[in-house]
Amino acid sequence: MSTDEVESTYSRRTKRWKLIVLLLLLALFVVVLVSLNVGYEPISFTDILKILGKQIPILNGYVDSSLAALSPKELITFQTNAGIILQLRLPRIIAGIVVGAALAASGVVYQGVFKNPMADSYVLGVSAGAAVGASFSILFGAGLTFLGLSLVQVAAFIGALFAMFLVYNISRVGSRVPVTTLLLCGIAVNFFLYAIVALLEVIAGDELHAIVFWLIGGFSNVLWGDVWAVLPFIIIGTVISYLYARDLNLLALGEDQAQHLGVNVERVKQALLVLASMVTAAAVSLSGLIGFVGLMVPHITRLVIGPDHRILFPASTIVGAIFLVICDAVARVITTPFASTSELPVGIVTMLAGAPFFIILFRKKKQSYAL
Amino acid sequence: MNTKYVIATVVIIAIVVVAAFVYVYYQGQATVAEQLKVLQNLVDDTGYTTSLTALPNRIASLAPSATEIVFALGLDEKVVSVSDYCDYPYNFSAWIAAGNMTSIGDFSNPNMEVIASLAPDLIIATGGVQAETVDTLRALNYKVIVLNPSNVSGVLKNIELVGNATGKIDEAKTLIASLNSRIDAVANTVATASKPKVYYEVYYATTSAWTIGSLAYQNDLIEKAGGTNLFGDQQKDYYQYQVEALIARNPDVILLPAGGMGTGSAQSLDDVKARPAWDTTNAVKNDRLYQIDPNLIELATPRFVDAIEQLAEFFHPELF
Repeated sequence: MSTDEVESTYSRRTKRWKLIVLLLLLALFVVVLVSLNVGYEPISFTDILKILGKQIPILNGYVDSSLAALSPKELITFQTNAGIILQLRLPRIIAGIVVGAALAASGVVYQGVFKNPMADSYVLGVSAGAAVGASFSILFGAGLTFLGLSLVQVAAFIGALFAMFLVYNISRVGSRVPVTTLLLCGIAVNFFLYAIVALLEVIAGDELHAIVFWLIGGFSNVLWGDVWAVLPFIIIGTVISYLYARDLNLLALGEDQAQHLGVNVERVKQALLVLASMVTAAAVSLSGLIGFVGLMVPHITRLVIGPDHRILFPASTIVGAIFLVICDAVARVITTPFASTSELPVGIVTMLAGAPFFIILFRKKKQSYAL
Repeated sequence: MNTKYVIATVVIIAIVVVAAFVYVYYQGQATVAEQLKVLQNLVDDTGYTTSLTALPNRIASLAPSATEIVFALGLDEKVVSVSDYCDYPYNFSAWIAAGNMTSIGDFSNPNMEVIASLAPDLIIATGGVQAETVDTLRALNYKVIVLNPSNVSGVLKNIELVGNATGKIDEAKTLIASLNSRIDAVANTVATASKPKVYYEVYYATTSAWTIGSLAYQNDLIEKAGGTNLFGDQQKDYYQYQVEALIARNPDVILLPAGGMGTGSAQSLDDVKARPAWDTTNAVKNDRLYQIDPNLIELATPRFVDAIEQLAEFFHPELF
């Protein structure tokens, strides 16, 4: 292959990648708009646009003039609807984007580093650590706040990071951290931490419900403040992880091979595991435990666009966001036909909807599937 | 002549006394027979029929609701165990510490060996989490009755059932009558008042929010106190609801069991007011948020009537 050919292949590929990312972002935007329209209270699309427009300084005057025509009663309804859109639906949609993106991004990293299709945040004990932290704070510090955040959120974050450091240090052999040791230690620590959660549940008494509800997970009543608190961790962690996309590609060839090609394997592994765990910890501290996204979204994306981490990573991140926003909307709307005010826990929707989708996709493409 | 009168008087007295004895004896026999019949046909809330051959002398209570009912019926001397969660009408944890009472342990997972060591001739349990325990105990030939009421009349039936099982039939009737008269008094007071829409919080956190539908026990207490459950149209027990439905339905009163289940109830009223969009509800606008002792409103015991009276004052402050 001549240099020109390589360059033209490369530029064609870059163009294709840019197009994929652009299309996915467009899809995310559409999903967000549709999702804003979905919920118990029927709110017309024009009203939603007005409510959103009122928040944008340039459109403010235009919306105000159209509101002047409303009767006082209609105005009150408009204000209630504005509360529903801006303070209830929008924050949970944004939380869906943030959590979905975070879980999918860290899922790509875990699978890449471990070269194991089953690897996710559960394997390193990160989720179990979060569960222990949350359960502890529910039992012994319910209702307390820390820097304006609920103690549960902070404790879940700390618990998740603590579990990761525990697993990492137990499995270190000299200066190296072999993947097999890491996986086995992760499983052992996982069992240990879940035993603690079970123990806490047994002694919980009246607080048992709170622990069980937290473990089911969700982000229905998320506050803007909760989202802003986790956002820096997730953005920084995700962006830096993305910079390692090339190294992840080389790691896929095997650790020795990658080392020969100039990757400082141990350093890269260490950095990626810390980053991915930080991202996961931030996400689960917000949402509780939500299954499937971290494990399956990277697989689904890989089935469609291939295993190159330079595109797999950003694409999975956006697909994770889209997937979770859709699941959350489904959780809200699926009960409406039954005149019901209830909603499903979003973790149940992610699994019910995601698993069959993955199986269908996998059966179609299983011949050519590789990590 | 005199002797005749004396003899006649003695004979008449003797006849009257004998007749009286015979009457009392047969009455007694009838009561015993009736009581035996009642003891042999104790149908509990799961539809299971328990049959006792004699009045129980060693009663094991496995749950707070059962404990409160047996003590309300004056069975203090016969109770051989309570659970770790029982704290009314006495401070049982102090009794247990002093060795004057035995606990069967965790209410959701009672200690079978402790129960066996107490050799109870009647066990009173609750439904739900204790269902498996009850099956095991019955398989071991223990006599178990299950109290699992879904409303106020269910609690009254429970009191009657425990009275029947323990020979405290009249005490049960008196207790039920006094509870009924207090329920009726509240009903008369609030009869013509307009009913506020009441939101009852089970749990609220970032991850999810839970309330009660019409099938929950508390739904009946709210109605008896002259309110309507905001989500009373939902044929459910506890369930996860959408907060926007609450905002759209606009509750007049917000009710929190203080320090009961989960973090939701550990939150202060100010926390509730500060929740996003909750300031649009009548309850927050008019500052009608109330906390209630969860033991009154969550446990199906004779104290439900205290809850009803308390709720009626919350819902209709102008009438009390």
